[in-house]
Amino acid sequence: MSNETVKSKDLVLKIEDLSIAFGGLKAVDSLSFEIKEKEIFGLIGPNGAGKTTVFNCITQFYKPDQGKVLFKGNNGEIENLVGQKTHEIISKGLVRTFQNIELIKELSVIDNLLIGSHIEFKASVLSQLLRLPKARKEEEVLRKKAEEILKYMDLYDIKDQLVGGQPYGILKRIELARTLMCNPKLIILDEPAAGLNEAETIALIEKVRDIRDRYNCSILLVEHDMKFVSDLCDRVCAISFGKFLAIGTPEEIQNNEKVQIAYLGKEEDYA
Amino acid sequence: MKKKDNKLVMWYKNKKPYSSYILFGIILSVLPILVELKALKYSYLTTIASILIYSIVGLGLNILLGYSGLISLGTAGFMGLGTYLSAYLTADLNLPFELALLISIAVPILVGILTGLVSLRIEGFYLAIATLAISEIFRKVFVEFEVVTNGFSGKKADYPTLLGFIELGRNGTFILIVAILVVIMIITYNLINSYTGRAFLTMRGSESAAKAMGINIYKYRLLSFAITVAYAGLGGVLYMHFVKYTYPDTWTLLLSLNILAAIVIGGIRSIPGTILGSFVVFGVPDLILKRLPIIGQFDGLAYIFNGVLIVLVVLFYPTGLIHVKEKFKRKNTKLQKEEGSYSE
Repeated sequence: MSNETVKSKDLVLKIEDLSIAFGGLKAVDSLSFEIKEKEIFGLIGPNGAGKTTVFNCITQFYKPDQGKVLFKGNNGEIENLVGQKTHEIISKGLVRTFQNIELIKELSVIDNLLIGSHIEFKASVLSQLLRLPKARKEEEVLRKKAEEILKYMDLYDIKDQLVGGQPYGILKRIELARTLMCNPKLIILDEPAAGLNEAETIALIEKVRDIRDRYNCSILLVEHDMKFVSDLCDRVCAISFGKFLAIGTPEEIQNNEKVQIAYLGKEEDYA
Repeated sequence: MKKKDNKLVMWYKNKKPYSSYILFGIILSVLPILVELKALKYSYLTTIASILIYSIVGLGLNILLGYSGLISLGTAGFMGLGTYLSAYLTADLNLPFELALLISIAVPILVGILTGLVSLRIEGFYLAIATLAISEIFRKVFVEFEVVTNGFSGKKADYPTLLGFIELGRNGTFILIVAILVVIMIITYNLINSYTGRAFLTMRGSESAAKAMGINIYKYRLLSFAITVAYAGLGGVLYMHFVKYTYPDTWTLLLSLNILAAIVIGGIRSIPGTILGSFVVFGVPDLILKRLPIIGQFDGLAYIFNGVLIVLVVLFYPTGLIHVKEKFKRKNTKLQKEEGSYSE
């Protein structure tokens, strides 16, 4: 555990000097940035820039070679997440979605949401085997909560249908709904708008803002759709080949020379 | 499906399948009476009892295979361990049946957890290899450890005596097996519909999602294996006190594979499916095939039957025979896909 304090009071996540290499390839190279409370923060970069790797380092799917991931959790304490077990991360209030939707297709929509509140279930195995009042009560309370979230996400009508066979846009929405089950402090979205049509993308922008206000949480996202990013994000961090390029408002980033070079190449290249 | 559903219909749709399990138990309990009335041969009763015992073991394996996505090849070994323990504790040490039952379940769980601790850390399929090894070790122990196991001569035990004074006969033991099967069906249903069941299914479906949602994969793999082994131990105890005889060569890989086949044929992730599968794999050869003229004389007929059946089921009904009826229904009346058909 680190004694290091995050200077500004309203920070929720602070990445310090984060690096990870796969063999000789430095996927993330001393990257640092911070996310404030109630901020919608975008991480952008060309293909292969290491955006998803950053996510995996934050959520401890990968163990970074160096650096710190300081997170102010639900209890208000600041912890370094590096070195903690992957399955312990969600209990701090940090939850994520995946680029390739990771839902359980043999389960109904509502049961998939209930997986999101796995850590809130406390009943013992024996109590579950015998359906003792404690297990039943717990299930009932969390099922109610899931139903409310489903209503909020306009998924209530299909709550008892199986996830397998649902259209892509619905799956994306179910996965987003699942993150809301654990009282998140920071939600990490990996390409939330990928594969959505324009109307769905606009609706998603509204929804993400509303989620931020309703759940009082911060949002960190990776997205290739630049319009989506500039419409939604308060601040954006651009990276390329794992290295920090620039940070600022979407307008600042769009006008940043380094970012333009990373995306489009130098003018001389084409001369 | 429409809003017209009245309360009664809703109640029927939401009800748990407990009542059908209990009804199933009551129907089975009538069989000993039929035997007494000479309407049913005694040998049939023995076969049916062993089908029910293998159903219990199969339900445990179904949790591991269908929900957690792991394979154990040592089911028979753990079942055998249950038989020998129970025989030794009741016949040699004169312990009460209930205590012997508990110990004969607890010891396999302990051995199972030790096996799991070592093999489940790495990729899932190492469990298959580890359990295969451990069941072969068990079999060797059953042969060599003659002081307790009687070696190749096999070990005998009596029908159980409940609470120290209710001495069960053959029919009583049969009804005890039925009662335990019904209880096992109910608690299995409860388990797979609890958050633990969802966690099992999540680790099978997506390890990433499981980790991200806070599911400790190692812990839940161990738990599901421990439950499987507990069911196998219980099955062993019931086998011991109904068949009254255990012998090392019963507990081979072949039996483990047959139990696996029962699940695949009957229906993975289905409680009635497991029982149907046990009936097909362990019942049909004894009750039907052997009695057929001419071809009934062939020795390996049961194996051929099971082999062909597995191929056919995997080809045409990959979710198992229990779903054949639904598939027909869907074809004929174009019914919408029923929800939750996998879990009952």
